[in-house]
Formats: sequence, C-alpha cells, structure tokens
Amino acid sequence: MQEQIREWLEQEKVDIFLGYKKIQGHPLPHCFTKDNLDETDDLIVGNARYSLEKMATKIAAEHPELKIGLLVRDCNQRALNVLYVWNQLRPDNIETISVNCCPSKLKEHGDCSYLEPEKAAPLKMMIGIDNNMDVEAAEEFGQEDRYKRWMYEFQKCLKCYGCRDICPVCFCKECSLEHTDLIATGSVPPEIPIFHLVRAVHMGGRCIDCGLCEDACPVDISLRLLYRKVNDIVSDVFDYKTGTSADQSPFNMLGEEVTLELKPI
Amino acid sequence: MDFKIIPSVCSYCGTGCGVLFQVMDGRLVDTLPMKTHPVNEGKLCIKGWNLHEHVVSDKRLTSPMLKKNGHLQEASWDDAIQTTVEKLKAIIEAHGPDSVGVLASAKITNEENYLVQKFARAVIGTNNVDHCARL
Repeated sequence: MQEQIREWLEQEKVDIFLGYKKIQGHPLPHCFTKDNLDETDDLIVGNARYSLEKMATKIAAEHPELKIGLLVRDCNQRALNVLYVWNQLRPDNIETISVNCCPSKLKEHGDCSYLEPEKAAPLKMMIGIDNNMDVEAAEEFGQEDRYKRWMYEFQKCLKCYGCRDICPVCFCKECSLEHTDLIATGSVPPEIPIFHLVRAVHMGGRCIDCGLCEDACPVDISLRLLYRKVNDIVSDVFDYKTGTSADQSPFNMLGEEVTLELKPI
Repeated sequence: MDFKIIPSVCSYCGTGCGVLFQVMDGRLVDTLPMKTHPVNEGKLCIKGWNLHEHVVSDKRLTSPMLKKNGHLQEASWDDAIQTTVEKLKAIIEAHGPDSVGVLASAKITNEENYLVQKFARAVIGTNNVDHCARL
C-alpha cells in the first residue's frame, strides 16, 4: 500500500494523499505529499477513524483542481458517494485505496474503533435508549415509554454541536441548528426534542451510518439509532439507500431530473 | 497547497483535552477532537470545538487598552504598566493588600502562572489568587 501511494504521488496521479501516521504515539490523520515522499513509509491504517473525506471537502473548496487521494474504510466510501451526489467533491479528482473495515459475516477482521461498542450502563438501559439497540428493538417500547426514553437522552445534550461538526456529510454554510428563529438560544439543554429532530430530518438521505456523531457525543445520545430510523423511512418511501452509490438522491432537486418515484407508504 | 494536522491540548480549561488543529496554507481553519487521547476520547465541548476561532478572531485584542474619558483606547505597554502600577499602589495603600485579587489564565504557560501567584503573594501580599479554569 505504501509503495502504491508513493507511486501515485511520484506519477502525479494524486497531488496529496490523506492517510494516517503515528505522531507522538497517536495514529493521526496526515497529509502525504510529493515533497516528502519518504514519509509514505510511515503510512498506517490506524485503529482510530477520522473523517478524511471531510478534510478533502474543505481542501477541495479552496483548491478545486487538486487531485486528492484518500485511505477509505467502508464508511468513508459511503460518505464520498453522498459528497459526490451533493457536488461537494468531484469523483474525477478523488482516488481511493480501500482498507479493511467494519466486521461483518464476510469480513471477520476489521481495523475500526467501532469493533467493540461500549456496553450501556444499567441506568441508561432502564430509562434511556441503549446505543447498541437496533431500530426494531427500540420500537418495541410503548409510545409513552419510548417518548420518555428519547427525552431522557435529549435532555443530556450540552449543545456542543459535535455531532454536526464531525459529520462527514454536514457541509451547509448556514446551519438550521444555529438559526435563532428555529431554535431558541441561551439555555442548555437546547430546545428539545426539536434540536435533535431538526438534525435528524436533515440526515434523511444524507446519513451514511458511520457513527462518528455518536462517537463524538460527550453524553452518549443514541444518535446513530435515531438517524437509522430516519433513513429507514427514506428507504421505505423512496427506495433510496443512502451512500451506496453516487447516483442522484431523491432529495437533490438541482441538476438532472429526479428519476426515483414516491412509493405509497 | 499545504495541509497539516497538528496535535495540541485545548487551552480553555484545566481538563486538558487533546485536539487536532487543521492548518491549510498556513491558516488555522478547524479543530477536531483527538480520538485516541486518554482525556477526552474523541469528544469536545463547544468551546473546544471552536478553538481555532479565537486565534483568527477580529475581536482579539492585539494591544493593551486603557480607559480614557470613559472609553477604552489602545495604549503602549509602558503606559499600561505604569497606569496599573500607580492604581494598584494607591488601592493597596488605601485599603490594604487583601483588597486586590489576581485572576490567572489558562492561556498562559505553567511557568507564567507560577509567576502570577508569586506576584500576588510576594509583591502585592495577598493570597487572593484564582484561575479561570479552576473547575
């Protein structure tokens, strides 16, 4: 892999390559360039996931012609697909090297910080929503119980905006979550559940289920589960599986005509 | 094109969360939490997430300010220090050293903070020392 990246940089197939390097004992994202070719020997996959594609989006916004290489896990690839759909990155300018990732029946080994999710504490199991639950299990709670449990999760919110800031597919210049007419300011927790639901609605057809939001949440709100539910609805209504391809999204009104049709619920 | 990721420690409070600064073309553009840092494990508060903003903020003070005729005005360091000394001396003389309190900062180094408390105890003569990050 190191040799291939060295070759890409030498032959100018890519101008920069975003991967990982061990710095001060930490596997950190690192930008490899032609000027420092020997550094490619230090390239690692690392067990910590960062949104390299979000960095690429920021770089591409300032240097649109730059050819960017990326080390991608499955989640990074899904995020790239969404960023292509929404014209944040140009597929012609992106080269990727896939690495082993999230375990499944097909892949037993994966280099991912999500291999062993933390077990929820007893209190959270009793009155909140366990982050490791699937959508079906969470829907088994009665309506009132379910509402109480979600509100328990939401009222922990510190309004750090970490879920949005780390999200690889959050790229809007103006964010509804900062709009004072939509969400009142000046108190913590923020207005609940509207704060979280506004973000959840915006994740429909965008969220690629990478779990970085949940990873960044200081109070462990079950965000991934919430957005999974939203995307289930998108899948049911539009038959659209977010992030699986770089084809048009049913939510993308710009550009070519939307070909996907509404399905009766 | 120059893009660097620089590991650092959050300067806001005494917790010491690990952060990563993203520097593009010599400009600090963004902050990320360090995933493998033992203190914050990939999480940050809203202040930490926006660390880069105070570095490049227009509102950042770049020179001392002195209040003249009710308005804050830019002043030289000599003027600022001279005025502070005169006022502090007058206050200590009139009301004693315990009428003065010293508030140290998370934005300066350990050694500078040591000097701040030394200044309070040995020069002014008070134990009224505190720190903005004493959580």
